Amino acid sequence: MAERWQDEPWTKHLWWTGKTTRRRFLSLSAAAAGAVGATMLVPPPWREAFGQAKPYKVGTLQPLSGTAAAGGKTALVGVQMAVERINTSGGLNGRPIELVIADYESKPDVGRRKAEKLMVEDKVDAHVGGYLSNVCLACMPVYEEHKVVNMVSVCLDTTITTTKCSRYTFRPFDYAPAQAVAISPYLINKMGKKWHIAYLDYAWGQSTRDAYIEQIKKNGGEVVGTTGIPLGTADMASFVSKISGSFDGLFGIFFGANAINFTSAIYDLGLTKKAKYAGDGAIAESTHLAALGQKIEGFVGINRYIPVLDPPLNTAAHRKFFDQAVAALKKIDPSGPLPDRYVQSNFEATNFLKLGIQKSGFRGREDTMKLIEALEGMEVKESDDFPQGDKTLRKEDHQAFLREFIFTIQGGKHKLIEVIAKEKTIVPAACKFA
Amino acid sequence: MTPRPPTSYWIVFAIVLALLAAAPLVLPPFWQRFATEILIWGLLAMSSDILIGYTGMVSFGHSAFFGLGMYGAAAALVTVKPPSLWLAVLYGLAGAGLVAVFVAYFATRLRDIYFAISTLVFSQIFYVIIFTWTEVTGGENGLTFSQPPLTLFGLHGARFTPVTFHWFVLAVVTLSYLAVRRVTQSPFGMVLQSIRENEPRTRAIGYHVERYKMVAVMLSGLFAGLAGTLYAIQNKFAAPDFVFFVVSGEVVIFNVMGGMGTLVGPFAGAAFFLLLREGLSRFLTEYYLIPLGIIFTLMVMFVPQGLLGFARRALNR
Repeated sequence: MAERWQDEPWTKHLWWTGKTTRRRFLSLSAAAAGAVGATMLVPPPWREAFGQAKPYKVGTLQPLSGTAAAGGKTALVGVQMAVERINTSGGLNGRPIELVIADYESKPDVGRRKAEKLMVEDKVDAHVGGYLSNVCLACMPVYEEHKVVNMVSVCLDTTITTTKCSRYTFRPFDYAPAQAVAISPYLINKMGKKWHIAYLDYAWGQSTRDAYIEQIKKNGGEVVGTTGIPLGTADMASFVSKISGSFDGLFGIFFGANAINFTSAIYDLGLTKKAKYAGDGAIAESTHLAALGQKIEGFVGINRYIPVLDPPLNTAAHRKFFDQAVAALKKIDPSGPLPDRYVQSNFEATNFLKLGIQKSGFRGREDTMKLIEALEGMEVKESDDFPQGDKTLRKEDHQAFLREFIFTIQGGKHKLIEVIAKEKTIVPAACKFA
Repeated sequence: MTPRPPTSYWIVFAIVLALLAAAPLVLPPFWQRFATEILIWGLLAMSSDILIGYTGMVSFGHSAFFGLGMYGAAAALVTVKPPSLWLAVLYGLAGAGLVAVFVAYFATRLRDIYFAISTLVFSQIFYVIIFTWTEVTGGENGLTFSQPPLTLFGLHGARFTPVTFHWFVLAVVTLSYLAVRRVTQSPFGMVLQSIRENEPRTRAIGYHVERYKMVAVMLSGLFAGLAGTLYAIQNKFAAPDFVFFVVSGEVVIFNVMGGMGTLVGPFAGAAFFLLLREGLSRFLTEYYLIPLGIIFTLMVMFVPQGLLGFARRALNR
């Protein structure tokens, strides 16, 4: 037996003991390059069905690595589900969709570069995607410069369809002002008049806070105080302990791990016993429920999508979407999470694009203006394409309006309390296209 | 006195410069922009080389200088109409310079790891301020603005094209390189290298080490700010992510990969890292970080002098 394990005979195949000659290095490199090249030569699955038909190239920028990777991967599932469905049902105008995926690492500089790559190198015909608002905003001028339609599919920042709106960008899902309009009557009439708002202290949290303050006041309520908590604060107890005074309800504006930390902190400090707890639907995404357990019981939230099959979401279209999404999500997360609003909005954003392409006879970038005109003011009905419900994509600001769901958490599950019709979520347009 | 560089140095310099100038004329559009970006990141890496390579001070605060350069330029481009290129540069340099004075005053009183940590803390302080002060900085979303035209000697400006902007950046980077090269080869630069080699001895022979370190940090901060200004003008936006310490970490990686204390090495490191990242991410999407990390680890183990050190050894063999 040899003294060092590296000298054992069995390691000969594992441990490099020889000299790296140039010939050997080149042959190994060639083999590796050949293997990569061979995988690239395998045609995509839709190629056989469509023969030589030129595909529509649709780019999707998602954060598949970095801080927002978990959400980005979920969002990508929504786009892939829609594209697969389109390609297996005959494509668009006889042409398949080729999805070009780019990871922007949750960084705006990479996002900008990848957007540029999609435009000039991949030459995509349209774009669906974007997850982080700062990256969406950083990339919007790129789409405008190259005259390509951009269907935002997750980014929530209000300014995307207000002060920084663009003729080339559409948001086919809701935003904070519409949610504030939708839930405020419920907060005041069913939960209490006096509210304290706790929010994530950065652009999204601040603009959402302002929208809720305005609507709570408009509905006869009062905001007695606000507490901003920095993004990424692990222990929120020091901030939460300062929330004092007399109020009926505590409204939270949080998402992701911050939502879990905040909910844990207010529960541990007894605030959920003192006041009712409501907030943005992102606080109670299905992925959070197991971590929060008892602490989230009784929470009231608003969301455009919740994973339940109760009326009015007991439609065949929603059941089909739900089952397909569960199966697709299981492939990326074996724990089998339920679909969330990110899967839904990406799925439906791609379908909006599909309808726009069909309606306008879009052939490629040269028809972008026709596609924009087809999408502007588009009304869609609840269907396999839009399992969440009817929608209007407003012409003036490219902002969609859709029904909202007010829900509570009971027994660790979402329970639908009220459905707010899309007509009751309308907010005046505040956009001037350049 | 530093010996004059051989003619062959200037010949190679001229060839590299000519290749960089010709690059946008032959490269496809995406790679044109990418080449410009590499020059900008290279300038940032070179600025940190003044501290890491020449003074022996590892800084994790370069993201603050870079970011404040961006926001300074953004302030000029958002508030002044019509937007002025030179005002944006001036504001960017002023923003980075002010931060550099502040950081230099406090951080240079510390040494080694304590200096590195204090620069990291300062960059995070500026990050939090920018991230939460939404009314002024745009918070998480940052600021977007239009690109200023190129004006020279008060003459009417012409809009930048990717090619002319590349040449503009190349001119700024070349002048910056020559200036920093001159500084590092001057008596002042020799003192910096002396601090790197033996700080107590430098102090013992009568140099006011803290003052030299402060000037080095300020100089480094100014060039980092200049890189931030160029980046803002190229991309027409400023975002708090650039102030986050991760950017400083990447800059240290550029230096390690390219070769510290060489000025040219950081450019090579930035180019190598960015090209590798771009290439790998195209085939491996989100998994590209694994081979990237392995390559970086192998380079630290087997090519500790960086690409330039490796090339030098190979040429001398």
